[in-house]
Amino acid sequence: MSFVTQRPLELILARNLMSALSTPAFLVDEGGLLVFYNEAAGLLLGKRFEELGTVGPQEWGSLFGPFDENGEPIPYDELPLVTAVRAGRPAHSELTVRSTDGTNHHVEVSAFPILTPHGSQGAIAVFWPSLKNGNGAGPA
Amino acid sequence: MKVKLWGTRGSIPAPGPETIRYGGNTSCVGVTLADGSMLALDAGTGIRCLGLALPEEPTRLHILLTHLHLDHIQGLVFFAPVFRPQTEIVIWGPTSPEASLRDRIARYISAPLSPVEVRELPCDVSFRHCPETEWEIGSARIRAASVSHRGPTLGFRIDDGDSSLAYIPDHEPALGADLEELEEDWISGFALAKDASLLIHDGQYTDAEYPCHLGWGHAATSHALSFARRTNAQRTLLFHHDPLHSDDFLDGLGAEARERWIELGGDPAALELAVERSEFELPARAPKAAATA
Repeated sequence: MSFVTQRPLELILARNLMSALSTPAFLVDEGGLLVFYNEAAGLLLGKRFEELGTVGPQEWGSLFGPFDENGEPIPYDELPLVTAVRAGRPAHSELTVRSTDGTNHHVEVSAFPILTPHGSQGAIAVFWPSLKNGNGAGPA
Repeated sequence: MKVKLWGTRGSIPAPGPETIRYGGNTSCVGVTLADGSMLALDAGTGIRCLGLALPEEPTRLHILLTHLHLDHIQGLVFFAPVFRPQTEIVIWGPTSPEASLRDRIARYISAPLSPVEVRELPCDVSFRHCPETEWEIGSARIRAASVSHRGPTLGFRIDDGDSSLAYIPDHEPALGADLEELEEDWISGFALAKDASLLIHDGQYTDAEYPCHLGWGHAATSHALSFARRTNAQRTLLFHHDPLHSDDFLDGLGAEARERWIELGGDPAALELAVERSEFELPARAPKAAATA
């Protein structure tokens, strides 16, 4: 029997949807592996997903910051996407991400789990420009 | 493994003189395994004739449902073995967060849509959700996986000895995706069809028709061919013909598909349109040629 690695359908459909959105979005699998982000997220971060590739859980948590309102790094365990994938609960917060050219972007992040009849298959995080500090302005 | 197509049409039965060659019955494929075990893939109207062809002695049958759209279950109450007390029937299907497989099927096999209720069926019938992991029926190993269609929908892979059948009759693998560019593990249904001896795949729409049916859960011809090429299936049948497609229309569609298939580098003999009542005996895969020094 041919056993080929296959992503769960829910992740495939999520990626297909995200590919068509102009809103920056991240996709992680059930193990917290960053398996995709869309072109809009690539513009925000300064690097396309195809350039970066799949990234492990701890690694993506520190790649682009993120920082809190005081400019302090946010612990991995407290990121909305981690809450969504670990606890199976939606999460939302404001944070700052730093793109590869050093620009800080103050954003709001909404994350929610991908729950299926077979359990959690991962989570999606969508990034919104923060209304509080304007688009792109944040602590250096 | 022997395969016989009892229904090749999609959506709704399309009987009549204009569909007599490719057939008008909806999805049903009979599979006889090496040990004699009998499977029916889907229970569209084609399963009625499959039932008439089966012997009446006590037997055990497995029906594997890809999903519960009417064109895949309509024949259940006209399947003669269902009315034989000596027959054991196991019906496998997709899970749903909404209700059990039995309860969902009972919506069809109940008043006012049906003259009988599930509990009244004389046979020994049981309902099982397809597991996430591979399982065995007779001499075969079965694998089910969710595929891109509307509602909970499965594709099946049946490995029996060295031959394998992939059955994905309702499938829109190119929804929001470029099948030529996408990594293989991101293609819906890929693992089911990889290197299959025979792939039976959705080919409902022509490329010209597809834009008006985007998101309806079915493949355009070029998508089905790309999927077959990417998965390296040895032989492919385009299945689930649109009810509006007459025999003459399908002849033309088949000719265009073969031209496109040849352009993709495919063997023209390895691509066909599914024809009702046609039969296939799946050979064991040829051993790979030994590497030469």
